[in-house]
Amino acid sequence: MPRLSLKLGATLLGLTIASAALAKPDFTGVWGNYRAPGTAAPQRGAAQAPLPLKPEAKAKVDAYHALVDSRGDTPGGFCLGTGMPGSMLGSGGYPMEIVQHESVILVVFEAHAEIRRIYLGERANEEDLFPDRNGYSFGRWEGDKLIVETTHLKEAVDQGRYPHSANAKVVEEYSMVVNDDGTKVLTSKMTMTDPDFYTQPITAEKKWQLQPGVRLLPYECNEPTWEEHLDRLRQGGETG
Amino acid sequence: MRNVLAIAFVLAPAAALAHHSAIRFDLTIRDHMVTGIVKEFAPANPHTKIVLTVTRDVEYEGHSRNNYYRGGWREGMVKVGDKITLNAAPTRDGSDGGYALGIIAADGTRF
Repeated sequence: MPRLSLKLGATLLGLTIASAALAKPDFTGVWGNYRAPGTAAPQRGAAQAPLPLKPEAKAKVDAYHALVDSRGDTPGGFCLGTGMPGSMLGSGGYPMEIVQHESVILVVFEAHAEIRRIYLGERANEEDLFPDRNGYSFGRWEGDKLIVETTHLKEAVDQGRYPHSANAKVVEEYSMVVNDDGTKVLTSKMTMTDPDFYTQPITAEKKWQLQPGVRLLPYECNEPTWEEHLDRLRQGGETG
Repeated sequence: MRNVLAIAFVLAPAAALAHHSAIRFDLTIRDHMVTGIVKEFAPANPHTKIVLTVTRDVEYEGHSRNNYYRGGWREGMVKVGDKITLNAAPTRDGSDGGYALGIIAADGTRF
């Protein structure tokens, strides 16, 4: 009998450990780009593999780049947020803050104070949705992984790496591990399916690391423009 | 409606001024130092504006306020009239100005 109790206890303990391992993790906190110990910072402007764009989509993307590249114009230079999937894959190298609730996860990017909401539980009615640069994100927990599906995106040829049509769908799988040195690492594996723009799905992976003690700073980008405008008004340079 | 349209029309040129780009600068040159007197220092996002009197007034662009903050800059560290040194990537076409990769404040603080 004692041997049976011991076995039962061990089984229960095993189940407890297994279920704890699959419990919903808490992603709340400020996250910055992950850099493996001893590795150099990634170089900007490094060569990238060509994208499997369809000819019509490539023509659109090329036309956009012909328009802006020589000037260096970007959405960010005009105080516009990145939008998906660029927001989640980098956001200019600035940190992001995740605030996790039961019904919604807020992802606040420092750059441009861009906010992404990942809804959990009840999905919005289709007629209440409209296209947006970050789309509409709906998530679900699968054990300790968060699966997020994003639709209702606007066509975005101005995405830094992965331009897409309005019919793009982005699926992300989030998981968190704790490294041997105690660093919490959040990994997002993204698959973007966009038959209007691409001949095959696009995949990418992004890693973030928790940055204890770091706070997100305000990022008010249009303030100088407003002040310059006021100055011109004061000088009588514009009437309206 | 007319008022709304008028406001939109007035704002349009101002919005264009939000444009910032570092493509004018040769960011491969990392050791070009310039010293002058601060005429204007406006830390902002996405880029900071610095006007420095060297032999004449020259406008420089710099990192975002948030990046300078994370690099060690704090409010009041650079004031009008201070003598500071910029590590400024020059313009590609040789015209005045540059991109302030780093700053040495009047008290020697580097950020």
